[in-house]
Amino acid sequence: MAGITTHVLDNETGEPGGGMRIDFSVFENGAYKKVRTLHTNSDGRTDGMILKPDETKVGKYELLFHVGEYYRKKGVDLPDPPFVDEVPIRFAVFDNKQHYHVPMLCTPWTCTTYRGS
Amino acid sequence: MTDTKFDRRDFLVGGAAAGMAVGALAAASEGSSFIGTAHGAMGKGRLTLHAIDTYYGQTKAGLKIDLSRMEDGEYKLLKSVETVERGRTKEPLIPEGELVAGRYELLMHLEEYFNANNAGMPTPPFLADVHIRFGVYNADQKFHVPILFSPWSYSYYRGS
Repeated sequence: MAGITTHVLDNETGEPGGGMRIDFSVFENGAYKKVRTLHTNSDGRTDGMILKPDETKVGKYELLFHVGEYYRKKGVDLPDPPFVDEVPIRFAVFDNKQHYHVPMLCTPWTCTTYRGS
Repeated sequence: MTDTKFDRRDFLVGGAAAGMAVGALAAASEGSSFIGTAHGAMGKGRLTLHAIDTYYGQTKAGLKIDLSRMEDGEYKLLKSVETVERGRTKEPLIPEGELVAGRYELLMHLEEYFNANNAGMPTPPFLADVHIRFGVYNADQKFHVPILFSPWSYSYYRGS
């Protein structure tokens, strides 16, 4: 399977990060252009792939995770500005026959991403 | 790093107690127990980083990092630095007494770093310029930001 997917894991509670807003952008003509906004489901994933295999081209992409907003909605006490708020993850697809799984592991004080599978 | 005078936990406990004693402090943000500092005011804190290369197991000198702070809705460059061996900077990013509350960004030039060290990355590399964004809400506290990175992953957190 190719294409782009994500998975939000809330490492503060150990549960999937459901209901997080994610803006997906594609790098075109020298700038990241937002193409859609998604929300994670109760499993911390998006209902469909972020980008299906036949839509995925070699190029640069951004996932903007609204981590601060997610914790505010859950009633977590955050400072202003929060230490972790909007987290942009920029990554490249260098071979569109491969799958790019880009997870977000977060707490209000840390976040991690990597190329998953 | 061993100075515990402004230890975050002590500070938060003290801050919460003070908040309960005097009600809503002017500097406390609405609905939060965290105590902030006034916009634009320099506090006693400082900003440091530690870039930790988990690919080679030790950070090589010469990783370029740009520090920016948000002003009027945009990140404006404050300074560009390079790591020395083991991934720290020669001087604190912002020295004691010059920290200002706000939103900060560290732009890590990973593509250049791994290319310079012949890591054999694909083209374009999975990670190229990595944006680490974080908020400094209290300019009297020390903010230490460790960043663990490889060509395939990165992680950052509030250190001490």
